[in-house]
Amino acid sequence: SRHSTALGYSPASLVPCRIMPVRWSRYNPSYLEPDVKKESYQKPLEELTEEEREQMELKAVRPIKAAPPTLSSSVFSDPMISKFTNMMMKSGNKVLARSLMSQTLEAIKRKQLEKYHRAPENEKETIECNPYVIFHQALKNCQPIVGLSNITKGGKTYQVPVPLTDNRKRFLAMKWLITECRENKHRRMMMPEKLSQELLLAFNNEGPIIKRKHVLHKMAEGNRAYAHFRWW
Amino acid sequence: MAAPGYPTWVTRWVSGQWRNKKRPPTLRPPRILALADQVANRREQLREATCITEMSVMMACWKQNDFNDTPCAEEIRMFYDCVAKAQKERENQNEDTLSSRGNLPSSKVNKLLKRFPQITHYV
Repeated sequence: SRHSTALGYSPASLVPCRIMPVRWSRYNPSYLEPDVKKESYQKPLEELTEEEREQMELKAVRPIKAAPPTLSSSVFSDPMISKFTNMMMKSGNKVLARSLMSQTLEAIKRKQLEKYHRAPENEKETIECNPYVIFHQALKNCQPIVGLSNITKGGKTYQVPVPLTDNRKRFLAMKWLITECRENKHRRMMMPEKLSQELLLAFNNEGPIIKRKHVLHKMAEGNRAYAHFRWW
Repeated sequence: MAAPGYPTWVTRWVSGQWRNKKRPPTLRPPRILALADQVANRREQLREATCITEMSVMMACWKQNDFNDTPCAEEIRMFYDCVAKAQKERENQNEDTLSSRGNLPSSKVNKLLKRFPQITHYV
């Protein structure tokens, strides 16, 4: 069975568990996270602060966890884009998801370049051509600021406006983007085309995802009287 | 024995049964006269919601500017700062110290009492 054990880590000598914990780590707590950034190893010793020096010494002594395949030290890898690709992936088809993502970025670049070449001279600097910048800015514009959570008080459930964590905001933005592109597109339109369209609209603070964010904000604003029901 | 720790003759003697002066039993210890190792579970007083003023200021700004984020950037920044501060405070505060209201929840009290149990017998 794949149910998690009561302990996240149990030494093999005490409990010979044949149960694989689903979400908890089986590493010994002394294992450190791998650091793949090249810059942290190119700095000369003198430039490091006290804490960084201690960290380096610790790394020489302690064992290090295996790096997951998604962690890369390449300059072209972007954690946000990897996360988005994983969310787009269906039934483990990472190849397809990654190709869709690269086609999306290419489509954004093509559209922006076309716009750039058509624009008059004075407007050329305002047009952003870097698809990564557009992607990040579009996601940032789609992130909601407050969310609603169900709180039961006196037998009734109220929708209470609540501040969201960064992870939750990022997740909601990506989720909205993907669901919008999957559901509201023409049967024969390809995903990269639709995604690039939505990303460019979100970059300019227009489009259905921004509207969805505004709807959420309006509901939170309407329910602001219940904000005192929170206890955190 | 009806009352723990006290032989029956003590209860009968104190009650005046042998002096023909029966009175209601004055010695009625229902449990052992010693401190228990745990406190009754009390419903912890709910804390107040944090950052309500910042949130209401931000929402007023939204109402004025038709829910655009660019004119309200300052209010949004203040709201985020408040949220980060409250989060940090909550992480630092949750240790074995008194809460902001000056009382300790029953779970923490029980943990402390378990470390120093009452000695009720001689070895």
